[in-house]
Amino acid sequence: MRITRILMVIAAISIGAGLYLTFTSPTDRLQGEFTRIVNIHAPSMWVAFLAFGVTALASIMWLIRRTNAWDRLAEASVETGVIFTATGLFTGMVWGQAVWGRAWDWADPRMASTAVMFFVYIGYLALRRAIPDPIMRARRSAILGAIAVIQVPLVYFSVNLFRSLHQTQSIRPDGATMPDSMVIALLVNFAAFTLLYVALTAARIQVAKAEEEQAADTVPAGDAVTPPLLSEVEDV
Amino acid sequence: MSFWDQAVEIARVDLQVERRIGDVLRIIFPFAVVALLVFPLALGIDLAAITRIGPAVFWAIGVLFGMQVALRQAADDRPERRDLYALLGVDPAARFVGRSMSGSLLMLGFMFALMVATLLLYSPRLPEGWPIPAAAAILLTSIGLTELGTLAGEVTAGLRNRTALASLIVAPLAIPLVLGGSQTLESLARDTGILPWLLLLFATDLALAVAGVGLARPIEEASR
Repeated sequence: MRITRILMVIAAISIGAGLYLTFTSPTDRLQGEFTRIVNIHAPSMWVAFLAFGVTALASIMWLIRRTNAWDRLAEASVETGVIFTATGLFTGMVWGQAVWGRAWDWADPRMASTAVMFFVYIGYLALRRAIPDPIMRARRSAILGAIAVIQVPLVYFSVNLFRSLHQTQSIRPDGATMPDSMVIALLVNFAAFTLLYVALTAARIQVAKAEEEQAADTVPAGDAVTPPLLSEVEDV
Repeated sequence: MSFWDQAVEIARVDLQVERRIGDVLRIIFPFAVVALLVFPLALGIDLAAITRIGPAVFWAIGVLFGMQVALRQAADDRPERRDLYALLGVDPAARFVGRSMSGSLLMLGFMFALMVATLLLYSPRLPEGWPIPAAAAILLTSIGLTELGTLAGEVTAGLRNRTALASLIVAPLAIPLVLGGSQTLESLARDTGILPWLLLLFATDLALAVAGVGLARPIEEASR
């Protein structure tokens, strides 16, 4: 619990630093103030990919080890990943409306494939909620979590695979396509969002643990009534 | 019995059950043809547009109704049948392969019948030399869709809202198959090379087959 709080504080400070750099870094000549959205959009999508990768890993580990901790990690990671995917989609649509003149553009396969990925993991969460038995839930969602990740590379490489309006990667091994001050702001936000992901996932794991403890403590209604022992019944 | 004997036997039994129940032929295929009729009615009498959207409608209907083929009632093993397979010592991987074989055959038949219906109803403009690439794309899409449906069916086996839930899982994961299938003919028309799209389909099929065989034992446990 204490570690989670410390993580939350560190994440909050980093997000603050990221936001400061976002609003003080220079803007693009053509896109103007809307350039700044990239500092939320790109890190959100990075965290979503990370979260779904962690889910796949945790799912495989659950199938090998069969310990609750891996199931809790997979569930927490998917929930966090879905939130960040929604954030990435929303910020992308706001930017698209401002720059392309359309919130949703079918000429951008990254957008469509991200929406598809979002629904894959909504399906994962729906499956979890449909199964009351914790062991069966862990088994089935581990299988789906391990399979669903095949979607992630398709989303990531969609901008390279298809004719697309979406720009390709801005930071590449051969150098960045933007000024250093913008790169620094972007990298700080990447780190801040990653820390936020870790903090949120840790917090969600704590909630899952508390839920499990509560479920274990709950006495079924019928258990409160016990039949009288024969020795306690007086002869009539 | 060898692994392949088990798989073939399971496929044979599945096809026999399907022949008796007739989910695909009597319910799903007619419903898919009705869906093919709905599009032009919704679009209005615009013959040029109907001709143009023909192949796209085929893939959309094919994948959406193909999911129903993969998740048909006959493919949902009752717990007793699963227990019998386990008691007989049937390899869970052979069960997955057998299931995929019978499902792929049915799916292939369904897709080809749907293609004929689309050709008749939409008279689509198709690029020269389309039959072989289209057949390859339909074959690979059918296999992938069946594998995906088999996996989703196992993961949701016995759940109250199985059909809706499995469809929610299959539909988004089937996107690489829709893309590969539809873009094969599109690329042929534009003369930009169909190989990448066939490779995408093949890679998806392979990934799903590896997942299905590799996860066969946990899947068997999960469906109990």
